[in-house]
Amino acid sequence: MKTVFIPVAGAVLLMTFTGCATAPRVYESELDRAPMTSRIEPQDIRRTVEKMAESLISDAGVLEATGGKRPVLDIEPMKNRSQMIVDMKSITDSVRTRLIRSRLFRFVDRSTSGADITIMDEQAQLGLTDRRKAIRGGQQSAAEMYLTGSLTDMVTHAGRATDHYYKFTMILKDLRSGEIVWTDEQEIRKVAIRPVF
Amino acid sequence: MKLACILAFACACTVAAGCRTTAGTSVVMNHQTGGSVIYEGNTRLHNEVAVTAITYDKVPAGLNRVNIQLTSLVQRQLRLQYRIAWFNAEGMEIDGDARTYRPLILQGLDSVTVTGVANHPSAVTSRLRLRELRAADHRRW
Repeated sequence: MKTVFIPVAGAVLLMTFTGCATAPRVYESELDRAPMTSRIEPQDIRRTVEKMAESLISDAGVLEATGGKRPVLDIEPMKNRSQMIVDMKSITDSVRTRLIRSRLFRFVDRSTSGADITIMDEQAQLGLTDRRKAIRGGQQSAAEMYLTGSLTDMVTHAGRATDHYYKFTMILKDLRSGEIVWTDEQEIRKVAIRPVF
Repeated sequence: MKLACILAFACACTVAAGCRTTAGTSVVMNHQTGGSVIYEGNTRLHNEVAVTAITYDKVPAGLNRVNIQLTSLVQRQLRLQYRIAWFNAEGMEIDGDARTYRPLILQGLDSVTVTGVANHPSAVTSRLRLRELRAADHRRW
């Protein structure tokens, strides 16, 4: 019995592991998965965006500065002062999305101003658009405040452990008065321990 | 002897599979009535963390806000995640993809208060979902 069972079991195990090696394992992962590395990961960005948007929405100072109206905001790209390569525009875009959907803020987007001019020129000059319906320049809303911020990091090595500390800071600045109306920060700390072998 | 080994292996597999449960504690909060209902889907978590207080208020902009106090019932550090989702009057989740699981490290016998702000004026109900960190997808590629 043993002389038959062991080879058969071995053959089955070999086929099983060989079968697993022929194709890569790919599966849908949830967005807020457990950390895989000590670097900034997508779930850290998501949490930061959610926290910043919530903080801005619930701040009494913003409401006071805007007189209870829906202010027009703009985005100034955040500064990356860390050692990591992070798409900072993506973060501010996500914050803008949350704030617009809350119906408490309005936004302008200077990054697409070139496209605005091109479309208006085409409407005015190509002759395809009814002149009475063509959009003329000089009617767009002006930003009253703008959002900006920065990302910094600090790395500490101690033996096999590496401690990564990240800090996102965002501010909302009033263009008219020059005052910072709101500010908040998100701190993230991760420790990576190298295996012995 | 062989049968005992097979049974022991099967039991070990069952226990290991149970450790991978993603069920946690859910608290459903109605901001119109002020009532709340707690659902505990994980016995281990039920013995480790308790929901001790819930308060409701509104932010200056008029959106609903909920504050939930969580208390550790054990002496060791707990690594958890929580998520607060918001629902409209029809019970439909608002912007579910935008709500994230946030990390929560709870020290032994300590209490923390977690806060959630509605993401839309139509949000009237909120739900706190609390889970163990290991319930998050932690498989490595």
